[in-house]
Amino acid sequence: MTERQEVRMRPVALAVLIACAVRPASIAAQPGGGPTGAIAPPLSPRNANYSIDARLDPGSRTITGSEAITWRNITSRPTSELRFHLYWNAWRNARSTWLREAQLGAARPRPQPREADWARMDVTSIMLLGTGDGAPVDLTASKRFIAPDDGNPDDETVLEVPLAQAVAPGGSATISIRWTAHVPRTFARTGAIGNFFFIAQWFPKLGVLEETGWNCHQFHAGTEFFSDYGVYDVSMTVPRGWVVGATGVERQTRDNPDGTTTHRFYQEDVHDFAWTTSPDFLVRTARFEAQGLPPVEMRLLLQPEHASQAERHFDATRTTLKHYGQWYGPYPYGHITIVDPAYQSGSGGMEYPTLFTAGTRWLVLPSVTTPEGVTVHEAGHQFWYGIVGNNEFEDAWMDEGFNTFSTARAIAQDYDPNYLAVRYFGGFIPWRLTDVVIRRETDGNRLDGYRRAAKSDAESTPSYQYFPGTGGAITYNKTALWLNTMERWLGWPTLQKIMATHFVRWRFRHPRPQDFFDVASEVSGRDLGPFFDQVYRSSNTFDYGVQELTSTPLGGEFRTNVVVRRYGEAIFPVDVAVTFRNGERIVEHWRGRSRWKLYTYDRAAQALEAEVDPNRVLLLDVNYTNNSRTLAPKGPQAATKWAAKWMVWLEDALLSYGFFV
Amino acid sequence: MTMFAAFGNGFRRVLRAPAIVAGVWVLTVLVSLPLAIGLRAAIAGHLGDSVAADTAASGVNYDWWQEFSDQATGTATTFKPTIIGFAAVLDNLSAFVDNERRPIAIVGAASAYVLLWLFLAGGIIDRYARDRATRAHGFFAACGVFIFRFLRLGIVMAIVYGFLFRYMHPWLFERLYPRMVHDVTVERTAFFARVVLYVVFGVVLAGCNLVFDYAKVRAVVEDRRSMLGALLAAVRFVRRNYAAAVALYVADFALFLVVVAAYGLVAPGAGPAGLATWIGFAVGQSYVLARLIVKLIFWASETALFQGRLAHAGYVAAPARTWPDSPAAEAIAR
Repeated sequence: MTERQEVRMRPVALAVLIACAVRPASIAAQPGGGPTGAIAPPLSPRNANYSIDARLDPGSRTITGSEAITWRNITSRPTSELRFHLYWNAWRNARSTWLREAQLGAARPRPQPREADWARMDVTSIMLLGTGDGAPVDLTASKRFIAPDDGNPDDETVLEVPLAQAVAPGGSATISIRWTAHVPRTFARTGAIGNFFFIAQWFPKLGVLEETGWNCHQFHAGTEFFSDYGVYDVSMTVPRGWVVGATGVERQTRDNPDGTTTHRFYQEDVHDFAWTTSPDFLVRTARFEAQGLPPVEMRLLLQPEHASQAERHFDATRTTLKHYGQWYGPYPYGHITIVDPAYQSGSGGMEYPTLFTAGTRWLVLPSVTTPEGVTVHEAGHQFWYGIVGNNEFEDAWMDEGFNTFSTARAIAQDYDPNYLAVRYFGGFIPWRLTDVVIRRETDGNRLDGYRRAAKSDAESTPSYQYFPGTGGAITYNKTALWLNTMERWLGWPTLQKIMATHFVRWRFRHPRPQDFFDVASEVSGRDLGPFFDQVYRSSNTFDYGVQELTSTPLGGEFRTNVVVRRYGEAIFPVDVAVTFRNGERIVEHWRGRSRWKLYTYDRAAQALEAEVDPNRVLLLDVNYTNNSRTLAPKGPQAATKWAAKWMVWLEDALLSYGFFV
Repeated sequence: MTMFAAFGNGFRRVLRAPAIVAGVWVLTVLVSLPLAIGLRAAIAGHLGDSVAADTAASGVNYDWWQEFSDQATGTATTFKPTIIGFAAVLDNLSAFVDNERRPIAIVGAASAYVLLWLFLAGGIIDRYARDRATRAHGFFAACGVFIFRFLRLGIVMAIVYGFLFRYMHPWLFERLYPRMVHDVTVERTAFFARVVLYVVFGVVLAGCNLVFDYAKVRAVVEDRRSMLGALLAAVRFVRRNYAAAVALYVADFALFLVVVAAYGLVAPGAGPAGLATWIGFAVGQSYVLARLIVKLIFWASETALFQGRLAHAGYVAAPARTWPDSPAAEAIAR
């Protein structure tokens, strides 16, 4: 639909939009009994329902769209304004908050995009169709951009529209919006390259009205999104022959006389809608079935050069649906779309309701989790983000961290062995290091990244205020590490019950951190507040160690002294194990509060070694090497071995330089 | 002389001078050893008396490794899992063709290594040109004769290689390549584009290397003092014997690939400490030795080709050096 046609058809379109807005949520199942996108009874409040018509012109990379939003105020306070996210305006120019933040901590300046690679989202019309009754009111002239987070006058990612009449608690409003948008060369996993389009955060979208007011943050470089659940009925018009993948289920396709096809997708109980289109996709389908869990139809949109990797994508998705389903709760939608994005599209590794982008390479190796790592993680977001809809602007750790932990756990279940791989020659050629096995507890939870940024921010800081360069280490890594620490401390059955309870209690709602902490204490039956004080409300680090181990003859026995120390500021109860040469092993429990503690033993046998936290319960310990001491150290042997190996590497490097003679 | 004959002849000349092979191997070890000892101290210091050393000794303790890397500085920053087995070779090859920066200590050691090779080049090529034992004093005398000439040549080489790696490589891979693949949506296509640029850069690099090799050969065989003259003479020789010179270079390079591939089959993994370490080290040194032999075969076969094509067979223009007896010896003789 062109702009001119749109203007001419306005009254008709308005009527259609109104009709869409009041369309009943539940629609009959498709012939064949497959998933329809309809869910009955409703799982969510469905207070933000979108009916969208969009037309993509790939040549000009333009989207022309219109939407009708039916929104219901589910708070106990009235509101006299509406706030919308216009995410794509974050890439309208270099002065936006997103682009300013993206420069912070960046290794090198971001290259200046070409003129055509910038984005924009221009709202051309906002009509209030009714707050129950009354004639449509044109609100276009009263719209204005606001910057609630940083006051940046150049940021146009939040649009405020005052209402002449407040929407009362329980009341509803229907808003019709028309807009045009220019599809960027990918920023934040959204955009286009060649014939590949990945379209996300692409329509004017309401913020979330909370008891304290609108929660509608500007778009920030380090954080993602937050919105209410609802019903999405979206029609997208693209060139005929192009494959479309989207949130929800395709209900209808219609070939238009102008050589385009309109695809209509529908989904209930989701809080976002993303789509992709390209003429190059290979389409593969498979089905997930597992005892005790509802079946899920899987649709994979695959790049032709990855044709041989279809099963790896499906298997990884099965891994997620199975384990997450068994651990937390079933996946309720009955279908899922996996998008394998085009090379250099920059859209890989991102989650949207019932759809996610994976991430693989042309050359992949067995027993190396590419593409599985990304696939499991993004599929996992269907649970932590999709079903449990926390505020990603403020508490991103509640989905990213939970999901990183769960990903590592799921990968460890189904992908063993999992080797480290490196890439050479411009990153194209993978090489598997079979001597280096990726361990869930440390590598899967990304301890290394956390260690380097451990003190960068307290996790309780709103996520969008984390330093952009290190925010990920706190959001993803630290959370995964403390969850895994809880698992090792309380046991998996307890943690599983905590997470499942939280999942069930907060699915299709918006939990806050305290909600999880309350569930954790309630389910575990102990006050976990002090633990969360350490890991969530503080940026202190954990570092326990053995400072001293001596075992000297004394009166026919050996006197063994072990001094353990708390080098870090954070506190956690740890075990201290002392092993003697005769095999005797003593395990003490240290509350870990004091700075140091002395253990003394008089034994017939000399001590061999002492360890703090010998079972490595505390995965957040930033220096585990100092956690032990032995009187029979093998450091010299290890050092000789590795120095010898490194020397061969060095000689080979020297020979490379020798080429120049 | 055909390329095949030159290749075989060069091979034999290298094998008939095992002392040179041994010498350059010792040189390689001596340059590497101090840094390896330094790294050993750093590793031992970090492990201390920790039990973490047990698994580091018996296999790979990746957790400890990452802790070590996080606090490492200087050469220790290159101590990564990519040093294990054949990954080490790929790591260096990849770093070479992608022009990756190395820590200053590594570059310093490499610079010293290159200078020592430059010093030895005269003696080595002289030995291969004569194809008979020159004894230590003859060898080092030739080294002494040619070191200053080769240092002058080295300045030209440094300028040319510097231009290639400082300007041409970044232009190809940081400017041209991103433009070539800016809108490419198929990784395979991007890879082939990169391979094309590798080939372009490699051909230019190999061409320069070929000319510099023959400049050294002509300098030694013809006792040339002007290095610019030697370079021009090398260009003339390569131009007039283009097919043979290039084919020989390709054959030598193929031998290099064979050695690398063979090491790929036998390269030891992490393994345990103790005897296995030393067996692995011996395998590694065998590979280093083979790489050195290949390097020497480049020079020896090029010398053979030059002698076979332009100089008299087995002829070295420079007279054999004889050192005067000391005055005391003269007195005794009287």
